[in-house]
Amino acid sequence: MLVLSRKINQSIMIGDGIRIVVVGVDRDQVKLGIEAPRDIPVHRSEVYEEIQRSNRSAADAPMAPSTGAASPTRLRAGQAQLRPRKK
Amino acid sequence: MKTQAQELEAATVALPRFGKITYTAEDVTAFPWGLPGFPSLHRWLILSLDSQPAYVWLQSLDDVNVALPAAEPWKLFEDYDPKIPAYAYTGLEIADAADFTMLCVVVVGAGAREMTINLMAPILVNLRTRTARQIVLDGSNYSSKEPVPRKAAGQA
Repeated sequence: MLVLSRKINQSIMIGDGIRIVVVGVDRDQVKLGIEAPRDIPVHRSEVYEEIQRSNRSAADAPMAPSTGAASPTRLRAGQAQLRPRKK
Repeated sequence: MKTQAQELEAATVALPRFGKITYTAEDVTAFPWGLPGFPSLHRWLILSLDSQPAYVWLQSLDDVNVALPAAEPWKLFEDYDPKIPAYAYTGLEIADAADFTMLCVVVVGAGAREMTINLMAPILVNLRTRTARQIVLDGSNYSSKEPVPRKAAGQA
């Protein structure tokens, strides 16, 4: 792991398009600002790890009693609305 | 370039949970980013069971041992209306509400009594291109472990 020390308002570039800025420091908490292209998701690690765990638990579902055939299903459009994109 | 006949050619796969399933290329949903926890599994079937009308199963074709139950969230929570970030739409080339739907992963507890649904990380499915991606809504008010309403759970 690359470890760099930064002061408030200093920043780090990752690749050509991602920038992490130290916005503030308050006792044991660091506030970080992240500038990244819109197509790159940014998450708190523990949230992402929770989703990984949740998916793995889901795959461990107990065997359902087989009462009928399984077949590929054709999904239909859902109820989600596309919101106008915000800047 | 596949001919139409080749596109519809059926393949058969033996699944640990469901036995032998026949499917065509049109039944395969691509997950270019895999799923969190299963980053290298890219080809999936979405199956339904006659006995479980409220749910679907995401069945991996790259590892037949991996299958996750899921449900269309509005069937359980009518008002489900998460704010999906722009990158999720553009990454999947979704331009129209008619292009897509969402599935949320269901976690079944031991004894199949308790079920929770992950409303914080819905899977967006582009129905037109048959590609999908799980989107993590960090910071949303939705829970990753929302209990499934008892009435609906009974239909599992």
